[in-house]
Amino acid sequence: MELCDLPAYELMRLLRQRKISATEILASCLARIETIDGRPGSLEPGEINEEDQQTVHAFITLTDDRARAQAMAVDKKLAAGEDPGRLAGVPFTVKDIFCVQGTRTTAASRILANFVAPYTATPVARMEAEGALMVGKVNLDEFTYGSSNESSAFQPCPRNPWNPQRVPGGSSGGSVASVAAGEAVLSLGTDTAGSIRQPAAFCGVVGLKPTYGRVSRYGLIAFGSSLDCPGPIARNVTDAAMMLQVIAGPDAHDSTAANVPVEDYLAQLEAGVKGLRIGLSPDYFKITYPDERGEYVQQAVPQEFEAAVRHAADLLAKMGAEIIEDVPMPNTRYGIPAYFVISRVEAASNLHRYDGVKYGYRTMEPVRDLNEMYRKTRAEGFGPQPKLRILMGMYVSAAQYSEQYYQRALRVRTLIRRDFDQAFDPNGKYRLHALLTPTTPTTAFPLGAVYGDSVLMQYADQLTVPANHAGVPGISVPGGIATDGLPIGIQFLAADYQEALLLRIARAYEQATEAESWRQLKPMVLQR
Amino acid sequence: MSEFIDRSTFDHLVHLAALELSPEQAEYLLRELNNQLKAIRELEAIPLDADLPVTLHGVPYTSSISPTLRSDDWQPFDRPQDILAQAPQAEDGYLIVPDIPHTTLE
Amino acid sequence: MTEYEAVIGLETHIQLNTTTKIFCSCKADSWFDPPNSNICPVCSGLPGVLPVLNRAVVEKAVLLAAAMHAEIQTESCFDRKNYFYPDLPKGYQISQYDKPLARGGYLDLPLSDGSCRRVRIHKLHVEEDAGKTKNERGRRLIDFNRCGVPLVEMVTAPDLRSADEAAQYLIRLRQLLRWLGVSEADMEKAHLRCDANVSIRPKGADYLNPKTEIKNVNSIDAVRDAIAKEIERQIREVEAGRRIEAWTLEWDEDSGKLRKMRSKETEADYRYFREPDLLTLHIDDAWKNGILKNLPELPLERRQRFMEQYGLPEYDADLLTGERSLSEYFESAVKAYGGDPKRVSNWMMNDVMRMLNESSRTAAQLQLTPEHLAEILKLLDSGTINTSTAKGLLEKVDASGKAPATIVAEEGLAKVSDDSAIRRVCEEVLTENPKEVQSYKGGKVTLIGWFVGQVMRKMGGKADPSLARQILEELLR
Ligand SMILES: [Zn+2]
Repeated sequence: MELCDLPAYELMRLLRQRKISATEILASCLARIETIDGRPGSLEPGEINEEDQQTVHAFITLTDDRARAQAMAVDKKLAAGEDPGRLAGVPFTVKDIFCVQGTRTTAASRILANFVAPYTATPVARMEAEGALMVGKVNLDEFTYGSSNESSAFQPCPRNPWNPQRVPGGSSGGSVASVAAGEAVLSLGTDTAGSIRQPAAFCGVVGLKPTYGRVSRYGLIAFGSSLDCPGPIARNVTDAAMMLQVIAGPDAHDSTAANVPVEDYLAQLEAGVKGLRIGLSPDYFKITYPDERGEYVQQAVPQEFEAAVRHAADLLAKMGAEIIEDVPMPNTRYGIPAYFVISRVEAASNLHRYDGVKYGYRTMEPVRDLNEMYRKTRAEGFGPQPKLRILMGMYVSAAQYSEQYYQRALRVRTLIRRDFDQAFDPNGKYRLHALLTPTTPTTAFPLGAVYGDSVLMQYADQLTVPANHAGVPGISVPGGIATDGLPIGIQFLAADYQEALLLRIARAYEQATEAESWRQLKPMVLQR
Repeated sequence: MSEFIDRSTFDHLVHLAALELSPEQAEYLLRELNNQLKAIRELEAIPLDADLPVTLHGVPYTSSISPTLRSDDWQPFDRPQDILAQAPQAEDGYLIVPDIPHTTLE
Repeated sequence: MTEYEAVIGLETHIQLNTTTKIFCSCKADSWFDPPNSNICPVCSGLPGVLPVLNRAVVEKAVLLAAAMHAEIQTESCFDRKNYFYPDLPKGYQISQYDKPLARGGYLDLPLSDGSCRRVRIHKLHVEEDAGKTKNERGRRLIDFNRCGVPLVEMVTAPDLRSADEAAQYLIRLRQLLRWLGVSEADMEKAHLRCDANVSIRPKGADYLNPKTEIKNVNSIDAVRDAIAKEIERQIREVEAGRRIEAWTLEWDEDSGKLRKMRSKETEADYRYFREPDLLTLHIDDAWKNGILKNLPELPLERRQRFMEQYGLPEYDADLLTGERSLSEYFESAVKAYGGDPKRVSNWMMNDVMRMLNESSRTAAQLQLTPEHLAEILKLLDSGTINTSTAKGLLEKVDASGKAPATIVAEEGLAKVSDDSAIRRVCEEVLTENPKEVQSYKGGKVTLIGWFVGQVMRKMGGKADPSLARQILEELLR
């Protein structure tokens, strides 16, 4: 096993014992990137060749010089006997939707391809301040708009390390791929409808969407501002807890970062699940979606997904948890339609600022006047997914449709929230500490299978998006390997600011499955 | 399906969004918009109580957890030139854009 | 022939005089700064930034709302107003739409005929300012320094009936803003901006006709002129049988002409929605009461009280309450003086206000304190100094900051009331002017004034003139 495959907590232990140096850890990650990442995404990729189809392509921008300087600073501090920080020497990647001063910050879009951020996002700044090493900016769906990473303007887009013919999921696809493949130990992702949890499930890693407002959004290029959550991606629960510990908490730059004290996520991590009430809901074992004729079809999630969840429930029950069956979450199915409205209204407005005036791309075509400059810049700079979101946002927020769509969607959001309130109410009928569900209705799909069908793509988030509407935290952890050889993710959801509890339950499950055979399987790209 | 986005509504949206589209792109986007609209229309069938409030953020912000407002203290950003350096066109400290279209005044 | 009346509503934008901008920590005022030097990631709309509301903006807006008799809302919200313009870096303005900070309210305008016009306020909300653009050789130059400057937007009902009343409204509003200390209210520096909605109707009618909107008027005179011109134009149009169309007009100050602007987007196109980056603003009673502790007596209330309490004529009361520190100066002086308030008022209107005007200072900036003024008046009343000495003392005290009595002592300015000293000079004057003495004795008694003048001149103005006259009359008897 190489250093880059070790958990962060193990690396930090070895580092503090001075058995290894931060520079060595970094070298191991850089070597792994060199071996398996292939060429980074670019705006002019040319043809996607045979080799491209076997490599990960997690990165847009490698920041190895920055990471080297950070590693040297950590080693120097260690040599001087100083505290190198709570994430010292741990290499991490940053979804290229976060501004980092002095680095290109592209949002995987042509319109920001040359944008060098003059400031650093709060969660990145906090990680760097604790000695973490920023290895690079990783690929995503353009402006995070997708669940597969195929919409990135920077191609080749990331591929699933478990099978490079499959998508890594999205939108934090580069993040999960880089962590799953050992190119980094941690990654900072974002989750608006499932963009951390869904790709984490697809790539067999741990992904945590914190409570809305638990981690500052300052420096995160906005998609759905009332839904966006930065969060950790790691290969194990403990590492995710360590990372959340550093990035969580109020921020003077974010008015929605709640003034709630940050718990010690590690203190209770090994406390087990004895006495905890964990719920299962029939509404999370099926998905509902419109077919070509607009008729709603209900379909059960694949049997092996339900089996993985029930297996987890059994293990937790054995450890002393109480499993509560048949918890009704009846508004789960409205998560996607409501999301179609709310996220589009917010996205369209958030994309207004890309106009060729202040930063990023401006058309090279000759223009007669300002309006033509706007039109050509935005037409050339945005790919189809941002355009689709802009147009839908414009449509549903127009005054005459606002009541019918936007206001209605916000009220449906209240219903979704109430499902969670009732499930977690400590004086209610269910009194759950957590809800246990599958993370996704499928394993990672083949490249090209869904891309282009914006509706079907969105329904990949059906089991993750309710938590975004409700603001509650959720974590996806690896829950087995399906018969197609791809990871299955299971999800725990909890009440507001109950990240410590979530991590503790996830850790108990992780421990209980440590000896299971699927845990020994490795992603395909690491088997070559 | 009583309501779809027709071509003229679509063109108006494109104009408002400060976009221009190739015919192929317009066709794709219009089709996808209408498909999404089908999904969105599921919302219309949901019975909602008249007094059901809207939710803007899922998490309720009580006064005890809402961040305090900013105090009125000046903290200058020390690198305004880094911001200006990102502009596609700038001169003498100004950002430059093509002129705004105007109709001749009487 | 039909007689018309104008129906005018004003939409004002008031720049609050906070230290920093509304949503970031850049300073609010960059009047003297080079372009794009007072900016940060937040106010220049970089990707990923978030607004954080300035507490002082809320406090100043609440103070203004209370002074406008508006109802301060315990809950208000911020919304995004979406549109493309190069001076708007985010592509939306953060404003307040359906849940503004305050509702209702009014401002009373005392009119010249002694009546009072109550101008109702529709809506009062806070929002951020946009940047500035200017045209240069077919290009637009953009400066973001002003982006994020805090504004209060206040819209009146169509309650004003003439160009003069509109100007009066702005004068009274400016007075109030400075009185409260919430804005410098300098129209030349765009601290106070105004758009006017103007229509006409037959006098006495109760319906509203289509209105035009006049933009870009940045002085009170310009508001008066532009509205007057537009009323004339509308009357001409209607008399000629043409309809008034809902145009947007621009006032060209240099040529004194109105020009038609291109039609702007309709409101539906702004697609307002709640700003998800900001929370609902809660102004609870404790906070509100804390802010309103600082709400002073308002100008019109004080004006009324000055008339009632001090027996001042309306003219005096109006002048003395034109500016808050002046009115406070007056009251302090009256208190220190203890005598007739009208006497204090006369001295302030004739002398103190002249000193203020000549040096462009406010009463609070004078070195001549109200107590000094009172002391000078007392010296005058007691006969220690004469009027011309008193007037000179005002300047001397203001220049030096020394107490009047000290200056009188140091410079020997006290009236000479020593009988023998004056008698000596009187004798001199009479000896030196035998011809005039002859005339006087011949019956031309009016010459007594001339003799007094000669004595005063010889004594450098310090003699007590009544004493001098008494001695001269005695010597000439
Ligand atoms: Zn700023």
